[in-house]
Amino acid sequence: MTDTLSTAVSHELDGNALLDAYRTMRTIRAFEERLHDEFATGEIPGFVHLYAGEEASATGVCLHLDDRDAIASTHRGHGHCIAKGVDVKAMMAEIYGRRTGSCHGKGGSMHIADLSKGMLGANGIVGGGPPLICGTALAAKQKGTGGVGVAFFGDGASNQGTTLEAMNLASVWQLPAIFVAENNGYAEATSSTWSVAADNIADRAAGFGMPGVIVDGFDFFAVHEAAAEAIQRAREGGGPTLIEVKFTRYFGHFEGDQQTYRAGEVAYARENLDCLKRFRARVTETGQVEAARLDAVDAQVADLIDAAVEEAKAAPKPTAADLETDVYIEY
Amino acid sequence: MTVGVVANPASGRDIRRLVAQASVFPTAEKANMVQRLLTAFASVGVTRALLSTDLGGISAAVLRALRGRRPGRDGGWPDVVFCDDDAITGTARDTTNAVRRMVADGARLIVCLGGDGTARVAAAACGDVPLLALSTGTNNAFPRMREATVAGLAGGLVATGAVAAETGTRRATVLHAGVADRGETALVDVCASRSRHIGSRALWHPETITELFCTFAEPDGIGLSSVAGQLCPSPRDEPEGVALTLAPPEHARWVVHAPIAPGLVVPVGVDAWRPLPVGEPVEIGLRGGVIAVDGERELELTGTETATVRLCAEGPRCVDVSAVLAEASANGLLRTENQVAQRKERQR
Ligand SMILES: Cc1ncc(C[n+]2csc(CCOP(=O)(O)OP(=O)(O)O)c2C)c(N)n1
Ligand SMILES: [Mg+2]
Repeated sequence: MTDTLSTAVSHELDGNALLDAYRTMRTIRAFEERLHDEFATGEIPGFVHLYAGEEASATGVCLHLDDRDAIASTHRGHGHCIAKGVDVKAMMAEIYGRRTGSCHGKGGSMHIADLSKGMLGANGIVGGGPPLICGTALAAKQKGTGGVGVAFFGDGASNQGTTLEAMNLASVWQLPAIFVAENNGYAEATSSTWSVAADNIADRAAGFGMPGVIVDGFDFFAVHEAAAEAIQRAREGGGPTLIEVKFTRYFGHFEGDQQTYRAGEVAYARENLDCLKRFRARVTETGQVEAARLDAVDAQVADLIDAAVEEAKAAPKPTAADLETDVYIEY
Repeated sequence: MTVGVVANPASGRDIRRLVAQASVFPTAEKANMVQRLLTAFASVGVTRALLSTDLGGISAAVLRALRGRRPGRDGGWPDVVFCDDDAITGTARDTTNAVRRMVADGARLIVCLGGDGTARVAAAACGDVPLLALSTGTNNAFPRMREATVAGLAGGLVATGAVAAETGTRRATVLHAGVADRGETALVDVCASRSRHIGSRALWHPETITELFCTFAEPDGIGLSSVAGQLCPSPRDEPEGVALTLAPPEHARWVVHAPIAPGLVVPVGVDAWRPLPVGEPVEIGLRGGVIAVDGERELELTGTETATVRLCAEGPRCVDVSAVLAEASANGLLRTENQVAQRKERQR
């Protein structure tokens, strides 16, 4: 008897959805690799923290989200923005400090926000995101929208009081909140095996009476599956979840980091664990997506990033007259 | 006289804590179990214990305890040697490397702390050295939930030869699952699932499963083998296993309400079952999808490959804690007679 895959698991993706997931991951990767090159020319003001290597996390989680949902990001926020649908050209312009940017060029990399997309903002304050999503999750719960709040935060941020308080509150109020701990092994140059007392961030969930799980952050399908369960649970009133995704960031903590504190692991990860490589291998092996369609996405994304950089460089900078715009709001 | 203990820092952290109410087994408790084992080992004459190292905090906690021991007040421990020659990878390879080192260094017993997945990896690496699998994981159809002190006494008695291996150990059967040049060995069950990816590994959608093979199936088991345990039980100590064809519960001949994970009792449809003899290669009908071993998706199939499964009698030699301690009781291995006190009693 030969059986075919007629009935797949409910949240498994069809060919087009897989292509979308790939496009998001590829866009993040191309965006970050290009910024890595461009930053070296000295044209980009301020600090830039790159998300390359971590694409499966933002993508696997945000694919389940819609207009009802909000996310809070980190100083390493480009991936979260792209995955939540923020315009890529406006992001690039923002990073170049141009008036056409998401925040009119006055925020830069660490403050990209787009409330119309439910993206509450990258955040220069480590541990600043989790309390914010308690707010959006509470609003969603009170209004009965079925929406959820998702906070992405790092292993360093997992040790911040704000993060722990937010998890406590989310559990006490049974909020539709998902805490995604992106454990890339380091906070700046400090190893998480040294700084995180419980060793696994996920283990802390038990102390707050919520489920905590660990997933392979290099595997899109692992993240996507865990996020599906956590988000569905939150939408249905089941309360918060902590998901720890483990992976390695491909570049330094910030652009310019000499990285004297680590060796070898990035080359290994790029070669053997990379989320894009694994995704491509798997979906072509199963025949779900043809390699040519993935190649086409690669080409389209490359064009988009080229155009984004070109347009950003050509766009005007804010002027003195812009100083007081977007500062005050009238109710 | 040397024994080895390998503790998996990652066991008990997977998605079953989200989709079911699987337990969380803290790192500190795993470290406590190692310490209870050491106490038990020393009391039955084990002189040297090789311990695995990890970045999850278990070996660090044991090292801290070792340094804090108070001479004269805390009981003796064997000499503790940490196996830190291999770089830690954070994968199952760490268990394999540690067990191989321990066996090469003369360990007469391997204790593994973890779930079914950890026991599977340790079993594949320990050769003929007796294996004692203690549960700190999720499904735990294979490792037993045992107090580590008691299990440590039994393991130690086998390691020192005070209880003969023929009496104190049982040879387990295993299932080999293979496709092309990839293979996995299961201690409890192998199944084929329509789920397309390894994903988060655990398998909790029984409606995706088409075929199930068990080395044994107990009526009080947990995990996929519990399906067979309630329909066609197959004892642990008989070599024969069991093979089942699953179907959607609506059309299936039988529907078993099975505890497929802690906190998850679900209807599982079964169309047919038969005893699975040792050695018979069975071709899996499913194309694409995945093969799961001991409840975890491990092998992804392409649309053209055929996976095969075979039951093999040459599995690990496992310590039977109850049998060892019954033997110890019968032969007085853990007691002495005090002649003076007896003489006084007689005079009175
Ligand atoms: C409250 C606060 N403290 C310190 C800093 C400086 N700082 C910026 S990034 C960072 C490390 C954050 O590490 P982690 O949370 O693991 O995120 P990753 O950079 O690894 O993505 C620190 C300490 C800060 N921005 N905010
Ligand atoms: Mg970090």
